[in-house]
Amino acid sequence: MFSRKQNNKASVSNDMANKQQRYEALVLALHSDIYRYAIWLVKDKAVAEDIVQETFLRAWKSLDSLKDEKAAKSWLITILRRENARRFERKQFDLVDIDDVSVIDESLSNEVQIEHRELRAIMASLSEEYREPLMLQIVFGYSGDEIAKQLDLNKNTVMTRLFRARNQVKDALEKSDTQWEVQNG
Amino acid sequence: MDDLEFRRTLYADPNCTDENIIKAAADDPKKRAFIKELKELDAKMCDASQVNVPKDLASKLILRQTMHCHELSKKRNRINLALAASVAFVMGISFTLWQQSNLINMAEHAIAHVRAEGSYALDANENISIEQVNAKLASFGGELSGEIGQIYYANFCDFDNVRSLHMVMQLNGQKVTVFVVPNKAEYDNSSRSKDKTYQSQAVDFNRASLVVVGEDGADMTQAKQTLSQNFKFSA
Repeated sequence: MFSRKQNNKASVSNDMANKQQRYEALVLALHSDIYRYAIWLVKDKAVAEDIVQETFLRAWKSLDSLKDEKAAKSWLITILRRENARRFERKQFDLVDIDDVSVIDESLSNEVQIEHRELRAIMASLSEEYREPLMLQIVFGYSGDEIAKQLDLNKNTVMTRLFRARNQVKDALEKSDTQWEVQNG
Repeated sequence: MDDLEFRRTLYADPNCTDENIIKAAADDPKKRAFIKELKELDAKMCDASQVNVPKDLASKLILRQTMHCHELSKKRNRINLALAASVAFVMGISFTLWQQSNLINMAEHAIAHVRAEGSYALDANENISIEQVNAKLASFGGELSGEIGQIYYANFCDFDNVRSLHMVMQLNGQKVTVFVVPNKAEYDNSSRSKDKTYQSQAVDFNRASLVVVGEDGADMTQAKQTLSQNFKFSA
């Protein structure tokens, strides 16, 4: 009886160690992607970090429900989006625009930096319903079907939003180009 | 495929692998350039979106979860401890109660003894002196002092396998049987009992107990009081 109990205990702590390993692997593999998604979703560093913390803590609590490691990313995004929605239920934060925050990679050349800053500003200026599917497509490489599933939308709606998102980015880029030419012409 | 639809489809997904798109692009270098331009824009947007991730974020995430687990296990340990304590408490209480309920009811045993013996002791009619009684009581460390009524019978006998003194005496005008029994842990020496013809009560005297058996209706309280006054047991 006692030896059996000990075996049980050993297997329980083994399970715990396994879970811990799985969790740490999950954090290391996906925290960057999830953080970037959060940044583009809320456009604020501190809030993004908070949401990512909450997301991973929730992920830990229900880690057993994650059966397929391939689904981990979209699972985490779903938790993250829910956490973001919950934040709005709790309290509306004062958000800082992403172009005000210094998120610039110092290692890049000046020219590229300026280009990135401009693009960031344009992407940040997109409304959330356009920004989110665009991020999923560009950064996460999701297909139209996958985005539709992740955001719980109709595929046609997703494609329309993606089209409008690129249209707006293009327009904004052209506008700034002509401004540039006017200023320098 | 007209130009508008071509643009619309590619704006939605520059990496579209639709056959019509590929065919249309193959025939027209302008369209190929358009696709290239869009893909470049995507790549730029992807680069631009790669904001720096705080270096310690992964460690923070793991730390937070570890702390959370630690708190949980501490809470669980407390609950386990409380559970174990309650179980021990209940076991202790029930053991005490069980032991108490298992005490031998001296009064009941005395009635049974008197009934089994029948008239042998009750009908005896000797007149035993206090000195004789005291000689027998001495083995229990007891002494009878002062006058009580006539003592008809006084002899050692077996009370639940224990040597005890069996006496029949006149007490306040009633004929009662008194047992002197050395105290034992399993005796309930405050027990009382009653049946159709007899009633009985035990009185505790530190070293020994007295058990009085009288007929039903006799005044036991008074009998007990008289006995308490006249019997002395040295410590």
